[in-house]
Amino acid sequence: MREGIPGPHHVTHLGRFRFVLIFTGCLLFAFGLLLTPPIQSLDVQFSRTLVQVSHWLILACGGHASRDAAILRAPGGFGVEMRDGCNAVNVTILLWSAVLAFPASWKMKAVGLVVGSAVIQALNIVRFISLFYVGQYSLTWFDFAHIYLWESLLVLDTMVVFWFWVSRVVRLDAAACAPA
Amino acid sequence: MPLPVPQLRPTTRFLVRGSTLLIGILALWWVSLRGPMLDLLHGAAGVFLQIRENPSGDWIVRVPFETLLPPTAKRPVAQQIHSINFEMPRSDASRFIFSLPVFWAIILAAPCARRNLWSLLIGTAIMAALEVALLLAFVDLAAYQAISHIQGDAGFRWGRQLGLYIVPDVLPYLLPFGVALSLHRELREQVFAVDTVMGRRARIS
Repeated sequence: MREGIPGPHHVTHLGRFRFVLIFTGCLLFAFGLLLTPPIQSLDVQFSRTLVQVSHWLILACGGHASRDAAILRAPGGFGVEMRDGCNAVNVTILLWSAVLAFPASWKMKAVGLVVGSAVIQALNIVRFISLFYVGQYSLTWFDFAHIYLWESLLVLDTMVVFWFWVSRVVRLDAAACAPA
Repeated sequence: MPLPVPQLRPTTRFLVRGSTLLIGILALWWVSLRGPMLDLLHGAAGVFLQIRENPSGDWIVRVPFETLLPPTAKRPVAQQIHSINFEMPRSDASRFIFSLPVFWAIILAAPCARRNLWSLLIGTAIMAALEVALLLAFVDLAAYQAISHIQGDAGFRWGRQLGLYIVPDVLPYLLPFGVALSLHRELREQVFAVDTVMGRRARIS
């Protein structure tokens, strides 16, 4: 290796540093933005929409529930409210920061942002509906599932969604670089 | 003739193993490890803070905080503050100890079993230290917030709110993944495709 030309190991460190820097910057910026009043009101609207979708899904599958703004109620009286942090916006921010920080084309980044967000939101609706039923069974296990289990599972899923997207980027890059 | 075992993709394998381990280990933590781990956190944080437990098991935290409150219309005499006491429900304190079982689940789900034990041991020590650091950071931020509220100081309110959101609600969920990716080379290389994309793109830029 000639002097002055960085080797692959050196280059990898540079790429990693760049990723961590952009990822942290995006994360702090987005979480900061999330706390501002205009975004908070959008966040509340978004939560209500998710509750509406969950309510519709429960009814479509033959379940029983009523809806009041962002609260889903069971016939027995138990109610679960989707508050800030329960609408998976925080894990979506995590995915967006990782996708934006990763070196890929803007087209692939757009695909990652849209498809990844859709997957996470679909999972979050499953989470919300499952919590609605767990809460009717036991409040202790509701706390466990709500605060610890589902939140950690969502972060794990976000990591896997990102990993899956990276492997797609690599495969498409390899196909584009392959000799004709 | 035996049926061929389907070969799962690394992403699917990690998702299945990680989810199963997360459910199992977190349930074990919730049922039997939470109490002893809270006691350990209490002991470790007790080196830096005064923590007492009330009869219901909630924590009473005393944070040393030297400040002079200037006189106001409501309080004509200046007041010297030496410390701030506040109550922390046991459930809130638990937020600072669940990262460890999450970390164990990620490491055990990661590829290459040889590396797992080393990462598990080092990572457990790092995670334990980070959990204490997060609790101390949260307590300091909460004390600073309380003093600012008494003083009517609106300066840097957004920053304080951001800190009080990120420290207890974001970092305990993120750190186990960050630490696992930092320590476990195979997992990191697979997730980020390190030698392919990141290296090539960095070279181009």
